[in-house]
Amino acid sequence: MAELGRAALLVTFGLVVYALVAGSLAAWKRRRRLALSAQNALLAAFGTTLVAATVLLVALARRDFTFQYVAQHTSRSLPLGYALSAFWGGQEGSLLLWLLILSGYSALAVWLNRRARDLVAWVVPVLGLVAAFFAFMLCFVSSPFVVAPAPGDGAGMVPSLQNPYMLAHPPMLYLGYVGLTIPFAFGMGALLSRRTDERWIVATRRWTLAAWTFLGIGQLLGAHWAYVEIGWGGYYAWDPVENAALMPWLAATAFLHSVMIQEKRGMLKVWNMVLVSLAFLLSIFGTFLTRSGVVNSIHSFSQSPLGGWFLGFIALMTAATVALIYIRLPLLKARTRLESLVSREATFLYNNLLLVALCLTILWGVMYPLLTQALRGETRSVSKPYYDFFLHTFGLPLLLLMGIGPLVAWRRASVRALGRTFLVPLLAAVVTGVALIGVGLGGSTPGLLTYTFSAFVAASIVLEFWRGTNARRAIAGESLPRAFTSLVARNRRRYGGYVVHAAVLLLAIGIAGSSAYQTVREPAHGLRPRQSMEIAGYTLTYRGLSTRQEADAQATRATVDVTRGGSHVTTLHPGKNWYPVEQQTSNEVSIYHDPRNVGDLFTIADQIDPKSQVLFLKVLVKPLVNLIWVAGFIFVLGSVIAMWPDAVEQRRLAERYAPAAMSAGL
Amino acid sequence: MIALSVAAALAVFILYTAVVGGATTQLSPSELAGHTGHVALVGTVVGPVSGDAHGAGLRFRVKDVSGTSRVTVPIVYTGSVPDLFKVGRHIVLTGRLHGATFVGDDGSLVTKCPSKYAPAKGSSST
Repeated sequence: MAELGRAALLVTFGLVVYALVAGSLAAWKRRRRLALSAQNALLAAFGTTLVAATVLLVALARRDFTFQYVAQHTSRSLPLGYALSAFWGGQEGSLLLWLLILSGYSALAVWLNRRARDLVAWVVPVLGLVAAFFAFMLCFVSSPFVVAPAPGDGAGMVPSLQNPYMLAHPPMLYLGYVGLTIPFAFGMGALLSRRTDERWIVATRRWTLAAWTFLGIGQLLGAHWAYVEIGWGGYYAWDPVENAALMPWLAATAFLHSVMIQEKRGMLKVWNMVLVSLAFLLSIFGTFLTRSGVVNSIHSFSQSPLGGWFLGFIALMTAATVALIYIRLPLLKARTRLESLVSREATFLYNNLLLVALCLTILWGVMYPLLTQALRGETRSVSKPYYDFFLHTFGLPLLLLMGIGPLVAWRRASVRALGRTFLVPLLAAVVTGVALIGVGLGGSTPGLLTYTFSAFVAASIVLEFWRGTNARRAIAGESLPRAFTSLVARNRRRYGGYVVHAAVLLLAIGIAGSSAYQTVREPAHGLRPRQSMEIAGYTLTYRGLSTRQEADAQATRATVDVTRGGSHVTTLHPGKNWYPVEQQTSNEVSIYHDPRNVGDLFTIADQIDPKSQVLFLKVLVKPLVNLIWVAGFIFVLGSVIAMWPDAVEQRRLAERYAPAAMSAGL
Repeated sequence: MIALSVAAALAVFILYTAVVGGATTQLSPSELAGHTGHVALVGTVVGPVSGDAHGAGLRFRVKDVSGTSRVTVPIVYTGSVPDLFKVGRHIVLTGRLHGATFVGDDGSLVTKCPSKYAPAKGSSST
């Protein structure tokens, strides 16, 4: 079986190298049949990668411990679902997942655009190059098909990975990371073929949006997993591996916005190329960070042969991208110029600068220990205060811009018109600010700013929907709900975007509520049975301990009664699990979701003394935290609206670009 | 052009803030001697582990993660102890040297995953 996997990977490597070499030659010499054959090689590479992936999946399902990979990441007692999830639990398997998704995406993208021959001619070799790197790693550096005499049982899986979230979180992230390769390949293809109009952007708009959505959902799933499973009371710790996913997401967010400017006004062509490359390179860098352990991170592998190869590939791709953009600069001249600093275009530009600045400050923070080590021979690192500072500095203006941008006119906006437009949102912001200070919540400046800005943005989004709906009612004479739905259906991209904005708004409100307004209490000497503690209006009474034997763990749970204003609210059971096979304990937190403030009462049994029954309890009250998870659903809804196929738009675009495609005639 | 100039200004700004403030020096146990400032210590836990993190303090020693140095540093620490903490694990904690003993900041102890395992996402820091 392992031989089949190895052979399939070797064939894949051959196919993608062929797609690279033959595809380049075909595009360069304009040889149509050779180009087709390179395309077919890319399609076939998906098939062979699928064979390799199936071999690994079958080995995992059968717990075939002759596969070293299977022996290292599963055990006989591990349930089937988690055994299969070990596919992406280790480094070799996750590289294979990368290649599988990449070859699948590539095949689909090439197939969908097969009629636009001039467009895909250079896309094929670019995709071939990226796939060749991963296939090379899998064949010669880090193979999942290494065999060894089978041990009696496998090493098992870390308990915290045995969680339903781990079935969805990594594949989501990879679907996002890898998806960013497609717009990158089309962008580079456009540069290589000297066709620098907007066609590559139009062809990849949905790809970018889908990749970006997957990446966003992947991160939210990861955050929720950390929140309920790791049990330190937070959901994001600015760990390098978390940042690894956030950085390409921020770059892709900037890209999604700035391409609209290029489509509408023909500006920012160079900038868009830079952004799409940045998003792609950061996604490779993210994979590198998670898989090499180069930066001190609690998740990373310590010594891995991958680091050098990845670094080399990133350096090569960066150099090639910069050189290509530089050579093609004359072709990337803007059709129009920025007319005013108070216009829709300008707000998009500010939004881009802030997003990229935030992204680069995070990159700087991640790289800081490496840089100081190299330059000063002493490792220095930055932590939460650094990141929080920049999140506030760049994130809060970004939030405000989300409310301003959609209301400002294209090209040039008059100050008087702005005054009228912003009256309602401004009033909403002021009222919210005054009300918050009035009820005594003015203590946290970032929190106060987040909420006043949020009120502004919320009002502007509602206003946009309201105006649009009323306009439709006036024009088409439709009823209110009918006008609303047809408004959204006819402008999916715009109103889908607003729905995503609303999700980001909820996210901001949830984050601010659960960080700026959180309360933490941790009785210094612990609690003895029947002792109580107070926090934010709740009274928690510790009743005692119980122990029970679970399938693979010994579970100790404390019973904690929660009351508020004298009446019983709930009973919580924070505790610890002891896993004898892995020789490891894990914290099992207990959470009460309070519908009154959409927040959580979060309890952690930090330390349990079984003899004296003393419980060291850490309790957090996190108002509004559940809005973060609600935001995830709205985020997906908005993305789906924006992505939904639109026949009218397709026809318009086809008419616009058909002559160009015909005349290019490859 | 606007974009480039603003980006350049931001880069300088970042450089400035990052170099001047906020960063913590990371040291291994063999490098620690003589440093009396606030640092992050990175090392491998050496037993025996004694004491109580919620009482007078958890006591253990750490040695270098790699290299041949045999220097170990005694540590006293109070606050949350991550699940993964045990002898042989790699840890990071911030604190300061008092005499020969490194006194960890309350709740700053973070463990790193052992290399053979998958990268467990998430963190035990706050």
